[in-house]
Amino acid sequence: MALKIVVLIKQVPDAEEIFIDPVKFTLNRSQARGIINPADENAIEAALKIKDETGAEITVLTMGPPAAETALIECMGRGVDKGILITDRVFAAADTWATSLTLAAAFNIMDDFDIIFAGESTTDSGTGHVGPGVAEFLGIDQVTYSVNTKVEGKNVIVERSLEDGIEVVNVPMPVLITTLIGSNMPRRSTLRMKIDALKKGITVMDHEKLKLPPEWVGIKGSPTVVGSLKIPDEKKREGKKYEVEEIPKLVDDLIEKGAIKIGDA
Amino acid sequence: MVELRGCDPPKNLDEYRDVFVYVQHKNGKIERGSLEMLGMGRELADKLDEKLVGIMVGSDLSKVAEEAANYNCDTVIGIESPDLKTFSSVPFSHFISETVEDYKPNIFLLSGTREGRDLVSRIAIRCNTGVAADCIELDADKQNRLLIAWRPSFGDKTIDQILCRKHRPQMITSRPGSYKLPEKNRRKEVKIDIRKVKVPDKMKTVRVVEFRPKETLDLTTAKTVVSGGFGLGKPEGFKYVEDLAKELDGVVGASRPVVDLGWIPYDHQVGQTGRTVRPHLYVAAGISGKIQHLVGMKDSEFIVSINTDPDAEIVKYSDFYIHGNLYDALPKLTEEIRKRKSGSKNKV
Repeated sequence: MALKIVVLIKQVPDAEEIFIDPVKFTLNRSQARGIINPADENAIEAALKIKDETGAEITVLTMGPPAAETALIECMGRGVDKGILITDRVFAAADTWATSLTLAAAFNIMDDFDIIFAGESTTDSGTGHVGPGVAEFLGIDQVTYSVNTKVEGKNVIVERSLEDGIEVVNVPMPVLITTLIGSNMPRRSTLRMKIDALKKGITVMDHEKLKLPPEWVGIKGSPTVVGSLKIPDEKKREGKKYEVEEIPKLVDDLIEKGAIKIGDA
Repeated sequence: MVELRGCDPPKNLDEYRDVFVYVQHKNGKIERGSLEMLGMGRELADKLDEKLVGIMVGSDLSKVAEEAANYNCDTVIGIESPDLKTFSSVPFSHFISETVEDYKPNIFLLSGTREGRDLVSRIAIRCNTGVAADCIELDADKQNRLLIAWRPSFGDKTIDQILCRKHRPQMITSRPGSYKLPEKNRRKEVKIDIRKVKVPDKMKTVRVVEFRPKETLDLTTAKTVVSGGFGLGKPEGFKYVEDLAKELDGVVGASRPVVDLGWIPYDHQVGQTGRTVRPHLYVAAGISGKIQHLVGMKDSEFIVSINTDPDAEIVKYSDFYIHGNLYDALPKLTEEIRKRKSGSKNKV
């Protein structure tokens, strides 16, 4: 039996294309291009590597607006077998609690799984809560910050990158593994496979299909709210220019301003 | 089947009192961010007229619990078992959640380390409450007994206030390094409460088979960071970056493109998808200053950039800018600092 792998992904706005509305002080994400969250790229690649080595059936699952379909098609263009999009207006503005619940609900509809991969955190909110949140709802083990995963029989051997070293753990499946950004080199999709994916299509699920009452999800089901927001104070910087020959003068100035210390002075 | 449920709030919020702080520790030493949270927790507790409770998990806690007690705690709760020697998400979050459900704290602070971030979400799901992640500022509204948490939003362009009005405890993880370290002070009536627990076999599934310590590259606490970017042109260029970093007792950073190219490991990456650093001195060599990099270093005390292009974005974010080729500038800067150092030694 081939392993069954589910990858949780999110489409995020490209950071370079976000603007602050100078009048309303709100974020304008509308013009930003949607990209696959960078750490999720590594989650997809980790799953595809297992597929290359031992064979696996990979489903990629996302929650988002209908346009997030493009992210699923991109994944299928890399070798993912199925795409599921959870989309419904009632899911809008969910915090990580409500998002974890919504994603977990999809597992009642999908087949059994052996491994769930998710990116360690997203660039647009960066909480890292959703992977472990789903694991808690499913009542399964989790291994976070992985840089390498190997399947050995009914277990996985995972290398975790911690602040002070690499921890290697051995865990039985089923397990949820979050991947660290930069932990592998994601492959590119092929045009042919993307065309096949478009022909095959994706599965769409809404709150009724997931058996989730609207008051449990989206903004209503979220324990946290954003109160107000402020613009951080930017420090004014002079950008004082020095040519290479003037480096001795620069070092004088760096010492004088206290940017560097020489000796005990 | 997954049992689905909504995040129902408790009926009586007034039952929830006191400030919990998760005290992470290793080899008898308390993690720095946890100390910061003990300091912050004390301030919040005083504002709200509540108690500060340190909570820790491990196999041999007596000494480290004593140490936590030295940081202004009213109570230290230790959850102890030989099976809790190394961190594991399921049993750790299980026993902490049990303690939270039983004690009913108003606020729960965790340092945003890898361990803290791993734990927090499971506890919040289980205890039906929300979390604000990566907070850089905390305050309390006494009247409503509300925690006011501030966290940087997407790309640090705004700072959002996150509130958890109806659910308890109000949980956060901090961005380590954003708060003051507290002074040691032991309260006379501090209570140390070590609870022995039995870990069920079904929670002993994760086995640590190996630990490979790495040379700790801690970009976030370094006083000086010297970073190299695409302008280096080749991986060998990092030698000059390293030389300057060494001379300044600093560490080496990098921008994303050169990490993606494999010129230097990911650990060194500064920016939105890497580390956020706030050193005393940041040197950017051959980095153009894309927003993704800027958000990771713009709050440094002093910024020096080296670039051939005076119109590069990084120059606007620099206090000092060296106009020129970095293969001339870097060795010259290193040499000049070396000279001054030996000069100062000669004087003594």
